[in-house]
Amino acid sequence: MVHAMVSSRNPNTYLSVYQVCQSITPHHNDITTNSSFSQQEYFDQMLQCIGEANGQSIDTFFLTWAACLVFFMQAGFAMLCAGCVQFKNVQNTMLKNLLDACGAALGFYSVGYAFAFGGSDYDNPSKSFIGTSNFFLIGVEDLTFWLFQFAFAATSTTIVAGTLAERCQMAAYLCYSIVVTGVLYPVVCHAVWSPQGFLNAHNLDPLWGVGVIDFAGSSVVHLTGGSIALVATYALGPRRGRFYDSRGRALENPVEFPGHSPALQVLGAFILWFGWYGFNIGSALTITGPNRHEVISIVAVNTTLAAASACVSALVVQYYLEEKRSGEGSFSLSSAMNGCLGGLVAITGSCGVVEPWAAVITGFVAGLLYLVTSRWLIKLRIDDAVDAIPVHMTNGIWGTLSAGLFASANRLELAFGQTNDIGIFMGGNGTLLGCQIVGILFVIGWVTFVMIPFFYMLNYLGWLRSASVDEVEGLDSRYHKKERRPSSELIRAMSVYGHGNERLRQNIHSYEQGQRQAEHDANRFAAETGRVSGGGGNDLYTVGRRDTGSTDTFEDQQGAMTSQRKLYEQRFTADAGAS
Amino acid sequence: MSDFNYELFCKASHANTTSDAGVCAAFERMEGMADGLDTFYLLFAAAFVFFMQTGFAMLCTGSIRRMNAKNIMLKNILDAVVGGALGFWSVSYAFAYGGADSSKKGFIGNTGFFLTDFTTGSELIGWFFQFAFAATAATIVAGTVAERCKFEAYLAYSLMLTGFVYPVVVYLIWSSSGWITALNADPFLGCGMHDFAGSGVVHMIGGMTALIAAKILGPCIGRFTDSAGNHLPEPVSFPPHSAALQVLGTFIMWVGGTASTPALPWPSLEVNLRHAATGSVSALFTDMISNRRKTGEIEYDITMCTNGARSGLVAITARCAVLTPWAAFVTGVVGGWVYIFFSKLLVRLRIEDAVDAIPVHFGNGIWGCIAVGLFAEPSRTANAYSEHGHYGMFYGTGGNLLGAQCAFGILWIIGWVATIMTPYFLLLHTLQIFHVDMIEEEIGLDISHCKGAAYDISGPSKEIVEQFELLRSSYARSHQKDDAGCS
Repeated sequence: MVHAMVSSRNPNTYLSVYQVCQSITPHHNDITTNSSFSQQEYFDQMLQCIGEANGQSIDTFFLTWAACLVFFMQAGFAMLCAGCVQFKNVQNTMLKNLLDACGAALGFYSVGYAFAFGGSDYDNPSKSFIGTSNFFLIGVEDLTFWLFQFAFAATSTTIVAGTLAERCQMAAYLCYSIVVTGVLYPVVCHAVWSPQGFLNAHNLDPLWGVGVIDFAGSSVVHLTGGSIALVATYALGPRRGRFYDSRGRALENPVEFPGHSPALQVLGAFILWFGWYGFNIGSALTITGPNRHEVISIVAVNTTLAAASACVSALVVQYYLEEKRSGEGSFSLSSAMNGCLGGLVAITGSCGVVEPWAAVITGFVAGLLYLVTSRWLIKLRIDDAVDAIPVHMTNGIWGTLSAGLFASANRLELAFGQTNDIGIFMGGNGTLLGCQIVGILFVIGWVTFVMIPFFYMLNYLGWLRSASVDEVEGLDSRYHKKERRPSSELIRAMSVYGHGNERLRQNIHSYEQGQRQAEHDANRFAAETGRVSGGGGNDLYTVGRRDTGSTDTFEDQQGAMTSQRKLYEQRFTADAGAS
Repeated sequence: MSDFNYELFCKASHANTTSDAGVCAAFERMEGMADGLDTFYLLFAAAFVFFMQTGFAMLCTGSIRRMNAKNIMLKNILDAVVGGALGFWSVSYAFAYGGADSSKKGFIGNTGFFLTDFTTGSELIGWFFQFAFAATAATIVAGTVAERCKFEAYLAYSLMLTGFVYPVVVYLIWSSSGWITALNADPFLGCGMHDFAGSGVVHMIGGMTALIAAKILGPCIGRFTDSAGNHLPEPVSFPPHSAALQVLGTFIMWVGGTASTPALPWPSLEVNLRHAATGSVSALFTDMISNRRKTGEIEYDITMCTNGARSGLVAITARCAVLTPWAAFVTGVVGGWVYIFFSKLLVRLRIEDAVDAIPVHFGNGIWGCIAVGLFAEPSRTANAYSEHGHYGMFYGTGGNLLGAQCAFGILWIIGWVATIMTPYFLLLHTLQIFHVDMIEEEIGLDISHCKGAAYDISGPSKEIVEQFELLRSSYARSHQKDDAGCS
């Protein structure tokens, strides 16, 4: 037996090891040691403390890893938005995405975390609407948890960036992101995830004895973000020329504004899928606790399956509908991609509490819901540049409901440690489903209550929407310094209209001189080496530059390049012949 | 520890006393930690293997012409989704691991369809890990048949590969009751096939399928023949449309590959990194030298560099746990050469491979398996597998391992894939659902199959630009007046 080999030691040895261990393990329960302890009891204390210390290290590493993946989703959202907007608005959209992350960090550090999780206490049955302590992280010991939650807050905020792209003022966006991470999101987070929240399932006396089951944030993160996007885009109106012509008459068929790079869209979608493994899995919070590894495994499997089946259902149904309507179907990359993301959003709420087959069904329905909502929004003339509302709002609702439909007793027991009620299709009595509906209504109600007055106030102040001429020219030109070469059109326009501005004219002059110099250099290089220098047109962004006029296609550019190359070759052979 | 029986000690009468309860609590905590760490490790690796899908997608997209970009990305997504996730959930995992038992040998698993028999945490996380690998095997082919393969044919082949061909090989090499696995109680030739992370299983299957598909599908219009069908003296190269995406894809795959070699001691990680670097440099400079001899000029080709790095990673997957760093270095150089050799050979044979997947995955998959037979270092091999006494040829322990690697690993995989996939592709070809129409190919698959061209490069109209500039210059004028007034 274990004790046999320790009986010969001095008990003080174990006591001192225990004390050292305790000093480096802040959350270990203090067990009062008293002088009457036998050496075996000291030994046991020491063992438990060492186990706790190691377990905490692993859990910390785990949660940090998950937080990194969740934060990486910011890159995914950024790439997705970048690919979905027109080239003239890329810089602006990217800056908004970057500011989301920064704003979320500051907002969640100063007040957001305090409102959401301030004074959390699992043993305290009291409930509150909002947390009131731990402002500026004072007194917070578990900083990894803060990191993880901050990444969630940033995700919730950034969902809106894509929807508002291409027409929203910078100032409006800044105001919005501060309000959301500082106040709006933390209240939802507090209600559902803090043990003092009135909807929380871990509270000692949860709503109707059950509470809302939202494993990783279908309602808290995605429904919140999606609802804000809906309110915001409704207040903001559609992009110029999307649903109405220049005189304000409704168009028969809405004009598509295709994104400038599907490669970036797919990159974003894949990064998001990858990041979602951190998002869903990390929501288990620890990995060494009892049954945690079981929960984490099922979460990984369910996340994968839901994404996959949603992608297939969206793609296939879209193909079928198009074939029925126009006689010839085509495979839509954006349907597949957004379907995939819709499935991920839907499974977020229920990933830990349903069986794999239920995840496949959840995903399948999510793909359909995405398609239906996307079409419906176009019918309602609500403009969503990246389809964030169908993906995040509709499927946020569906994901929250799906936990109420499919949660199995076995998985609930493993994940939440209680089976007060289970999914209605698994033999439950509907209390859980009722709670889920209350959760959904609360989120939508709260977002509407705060955000509608907020956006209408911004609109009233004239801070919300950018000027229409800026919008058509592109927000990059309006809000950001021109780092790219100005187009020849621009140069011409400036030289015609820029009479009164001497400095501008000087700039144009020096620019034109530079152009001539560059051409001269290129000619010399070609003459000396027989090759054409630089700017091969292979770079991702080269085509996007409006350097040869406004409506050139890529083929035109290619043709221009080929003829230029021929010219160089002729010159070179002529030179060679002359010498 | 074997003296300590948890059930007896903690569940029986002993557990009543305080001190014993303490030991039991500590024991449970340790057990939770062990389970948690195992799960976390597989989870971590699997997530990064999945991330390699991103790398493949970006690499393929960057390597082809602009007019097919959306099409290839859609194929890449569907590999992960249809073949990987749904196929592996429904049947493949049952074929690959159902009813595995190290005391008997078999050909294919037959229990646990739709994950019904797999419910515990360790089984589920195992599924997740294997799903990521299956998706990788399927997606290798996407780049090779890019720009000319019909979508329906692609889906059909993807399901066939991940649904049947791949799981059978997995069962034979990785499950404990396969014919040539090293994990069986009585392995083949006393040692079995050593394929640590899938040089043979994942990359050779993918590469071999790509080879067959490319041969039957034929090249793109205008690559090797002119419009009249005559062979061109020099093949026309179709330049990649975005070097940035190619390099992004390569780096993502490097990250994924580094994290995906599971259960490794740290030295092998170092081997891995060094190997990729060596392969890359070797390919780059060899290509440079050969080019110089041909044309008299030195050029550094970024494609060579990225593909060399990928070759190194592919080759290392089989042997990363059993090699010493010097052996990795030597074979990394060879890996670069293998890549270039296969690449030039394919062009000579007029087989088109848009992303060089065949040289990278097939060529270096074979080389990786052979190298284990040559260089497997005894103590590292014993750590990774068991002390069976059969190691690399160069360590003087006989040729059993090399035999197992070549005869049954390589030949069997090639034979199996060829037997199943050749008739399958020929059937698709005969039914005329394999190659897209000529006009569709000329115009690009995005316009003909994927709702229009990938890149929208139209700018705002002239009128609106002029209006904007008018407005802006009037701002500037008034601003300047203000300035003047102040000074």
